[in-house]
Amino acid sequence: MQNLIKYKDLYWQLTFREINARYKQSVLGYAWAIIVPLMNLIVLSIVFSYLFRVPTGNIPYPIFLFVALVPWTFFSNSLVAATGSIMENGALITKVKLPREIIPLSAIGSKSIDLILTFLILLVLLFIYKVEFHQTFILVPFIFIFQLTFMVGVAFFLSATNVFFRDIGNVLGIFLTIWMYLTPVIYSPQMIPDNLKLLFYLNPMTSIINAYRDTILYGNLPNFAQMSYVIFISGLLLVLGYLYFKKRSKQFADVI
Amino acid sequence: MKPIIKLSRVSKKYRRGQRLLLKQAILDFFKPQREEDFWALKDVSFNVMRGEVLGIIGANGSGKSTILKLMAEVIFPTKGEVEVNGKISPLIELGAGFHPELTGRENIYLNGTILGLTTNQIDEKFDSIVKFAQLEEFIDTAVKHYSSGMYMRLGFAIAIHVDPDILLVDEILAVGDIAFQKKCLDKMKSFHEMGVTIVIISHALDLIQTFCQRVILLQNGVVVTSGSPQKVIEKYRKIMN
Repeated sequence: MQNLIKYKDLYWQLTFREINARYKQSVLGYAWAIIVPLMNLIVLSIVFSYLFRVPTGNIPYPIFLFVALVPWTFFSNSLVAATGSIMENGALITKVKLPREIIPLSAIGSKSIDLILTFLILLVLLFIYKVEFHQTFILVPFIFIFQLTFMVGVAFFLSATNVFFRDIGNVLGIFLTIWMYLTPVIYSPQMIPDNLKLLFYLNPMTSIINAYRDTILYGNLPNFAQMSYVIFISGLLLVLGYLYFKKRSKQFADVI
Repeated sequence: MKPIIKLSRVSKKYRRGQRLLLKQAILDFFKPQREEDFWALKDVSFNVMRGEVLGIIGANGSGKSTILKLMAEVIFPTKGEVEVNGKISPLIELGAGFHPELTGRENIYLNGTILGLTTNQIDEKFDSIVKFAQLEEFIDTAVKHYSSGMYMRLGFAIAIHVDPDILLVDEILAVGDIAFQKKCLDKMKSFHEMGVTIVIISHALDLIQTFCQRVILLQNGVVVTSGSPQKVIEKYRKIMN
């Protein structure tokens, strides 16, 4: 972690390289960051507010969905980007000595642009749908930090393992889709069957998504027990993931 | 005097035919297949002293590049120890980490920070880098439009502005026109005069003979001999014939 302070400039350069290059490569540039989640929002909103009714309290379904879809899209995109990052930067890994953990971290960092843009849209939607502002909104950054901790831990495991099993990236897409359906993103946590509740709540993303909804839409404090579990698991994963990545990274240049 | 690079009993093992897919790993679980070990370096020990110019020669596959990568600390020995006591600038592959879509200017900042400079340091050196690379007119062009010579010049110009203690040089002079080759060689000479340690891998025996103070001959991952350039190159010619 000391490295991160020393290599701050490198981190920004690598992150900007990703953002900048993506922007230059396509005509619509950053617009893609908004178009994809918006299309998702529209399709899912139509399906689940007209075909299947999801009980959302007094909150309109599109806003109920988008509050969850924004952090989930960031989660999913970041993991995909981080997983492939080591292989994509093979030229660097095999030629130059640098703290290799910086590579998946900057892959995640480069997705923050998408997050910021979709978050701004979320704010606009909250305004349009006249959702009441709650003081609990100030807790959102903290929930985000827990999410980030969890993500980085998982990203360390995935990116290091992908060097040795290159088809992890292929499996990941399917895996993330299944993961989304097992997390209350498009439905509400009340719809989880009682006998499966424990199983669903083992997944930290369940509690994280609930916490965003509670604080932004309903003005409730996040469930204390659920949050304690999330903090514990995320912290543990971050530490273990980092150690695993460090150990594996010594062999990266041998097999790339 | 303490050596600036110290290799003690270094061996490096690679695996031949290592399986890199999950699918294969699962199949292997049911029907294990043998992986073959391959020793790229066997029990290699030598020191490089501060300010020395060391050449490493040997046939293809003798382990030269493996040694350079170990010195650059991008790979790590299977056995033994590599100790490096200084800031390295690898001229191993110029422009590693260049992004084709970004301009020369953007790539200078990117590559400079990759080689360990801070943004402020690059600000100071920027003009000098561009001047050395002779790319004043093209600095705001995406490097994907550069010729391979321009690409390499920019890479070289950045690498020598890192103020290294050690330069690792791998056959870079093989590319680029004669004028630029001479410029690179002059720059390396002036580095040598400033006391920078230089390790060169090359098949250009003339260069090794005139430039190096000491040469190591490798064969199949083992040090065959080391000493004055003339003596070692003679021995190498004998082996090759």
